[in-house]
Amino acid sequence: MNRQYYLDLAASGLRMPIGTHLVLHEHADHKTIPNDGRRLGSVVAEAARRFRCPMAIPLMDLKLEKEAMLSARGIAPEDIDAFHFDEIPADSGEVRLTRRMNAVCEAIRHVSEETDLLPVGMGIGPFSLMTKLISDPITPVFLAGSGATAEDDDEVALLETLLEMAAATVGCYLDAQIQAGARAIIVCEPAANQVYFSPNQLKESHEVFDRFVIDLNRAIRNQLATSDADLIFHDCGELTEGMVQRFASLDPAVLSLGSSRRLWEDAALVSKSTVLYGNLPTKQFYSDELVPPGRVRKLSEELQKRMREAGHPFILGSECDVLSVPGREQSIMAKVEEFLAV
Amino acid sequence: MDNLCSDMSDTHPLSQAIIAGKRKEIPALVQECLDAGESAQFIVESRLVSAMAVVGEKFKNNEIFVPEMLIAARAMKEALKLLEPMLVEAGVKPEFNAVIGTVEGDLHDIGKNLVAMMWKGANIDVIDLGVNVPPAKFVEAIRENNAKLVGLSALLTTTMPAMRETVKAIREAGLAAKIMIGGAPITTEYANEIGADGYAADAGSAVDAAMSLLRS
Repeated sequence: MNRQYYLDLAASGLRMPIGTHLVLHEHADHKTIPNDGRRLGSVVAEAARRFRCPMAIPLMDLKLEKEAMLSARGIAPEDIDAFHFDEIPADSGEVRLTRRMNAVCEAIRHVSEETDLLPVGMGIGPFSLMTKLISDPITPVFLAGSGATAEDDDEVALLETLLEMAAATVGCYLDAQIQAGARAIIVCEPAANQVYFSPNQLKESHEVFDRFVIDLNRAIRNQLATSDADLIFHDCGELTEGMVQRFASLDPAVLSLGSSRRLWEDAALVSKSTVLYGNLPTKQFYSDELVPPGRVRKLSEELQKRMREAGHPFILGSECDVLSVPGREQSIMAKVEEFLAV
Repeated sequence: MDNLCSDMSDTHPLSQAIIAGKRKEIPALVQECLDAGESAQFIVESRLVSAMAVVGEKFKNNEIFVPEMLIAARAMKEALKLLEPMLVEAGVKPEFNAVIGTVEGDLHDIGKNLVAMMWKGANIDVIDLGVNVPPAKFVEAIRENNAKLVGLSALLTTTMPAMRETVKAIREAGLAAKIMIGGAPITTEYANEIGADGYAADAGSAVDAAMSLLRS
């Protein structure tokens, strides 16, 4: 697509949350809507209109890919969330889209055909998906970073096999969303962070980070490029500078980071053809002590000022999906409205 | 080696191996201590606890990170695997016990696992209920084990209300266990608001917070 589109949005002073979850939960039947593609598409469009955003940002549901992998293997729906592989599966398994995934694709099609919004898809990154498939993914990542190979460590072998399977599933799902009309894809890799990759190890080498995270996401980027779809890369985890540099090397149209990052400093690590997005502390919006009413405006103004000084294309937004917290919905929405009004 | 095995500090080779996460070296080092006449209880209380205290301190000071902490805990578990049958045979039990779990609706377990490991490393008998634990299951486990401490974890803001429900259920059941909560969105303010007894910002400080509650 035309990268200028995002640069123009940044130049126009766009402010936008990733906020479909908030709007979905205003509907009494919010539990059933995600199974109905057209209704889901309507809610996605409603959220875009509500937040005055030209992009139709989907619901950030990062459980779908694991569900697809495991339901294809006959794992009962009620066991999927807690299921972990403890040995290498005999076969890599067929990738089949689930009902929920098909509904997401239908929602994208609805946005594409019925609205003037930019249809955007979303999926979990391969590394983050793999972390959901093993009970302890951190140890084998560390062992691999210490030089252990699949040949000499069973845990590393399991990790590498599941990572391959995860990449295949992600690739299939993203392709389906592009076929449905997505012009950009948000790839979420929240687990590619300092919890899973030791900064001490990364000081020595980024080889494992590159192999487990960057190479697979570069393949996704290339996959999107062949369909003329743009990459919006999201990682709200705690990151090192080296990680940010490597995400920037993917040359995403937009790079979305969490509130632990100083975007105005990260700007020096990122090409000016990549729009930086974020990174108000929306995970804390539920608490009036952590983020008192009125504070969002100040934070927003300061962030905008610093990004102007850095001279980097920037869209003010949330650090992640703004989740609807029961009992705190009004407070959260008021704070979202506060930064939209800056 | 005899001298090393009477060393009480965390510079002891077994402690050092745990701190460095050298799991494969653990069986031989435990055996050396046993051969030197140390009891299983002494090894746990002197070698393992001191090693994990160092690990917790290094974590708090950002000298090490979660992966190194897990690797150290894995080495500690290797030692415990060898020592636990001896502790059982000798009738030795940890002074305190605790129940821990991630609250209903939340499937995240890294933080909970780290706290469980650090508590085990502080010689607390930990009953880990896993993730997505309903309030009634916490109540049942506390009652069944006469637990002195319960740890509730939540990563998501959307599951924090389940934490409130769990605290309420424990209080209504009249259980005396001290309630400690933690997780990315949790604050001292929230702990006070829902009636928990304590809060720890990270796994490194969870031991001090737990001991403070248990000894109060």
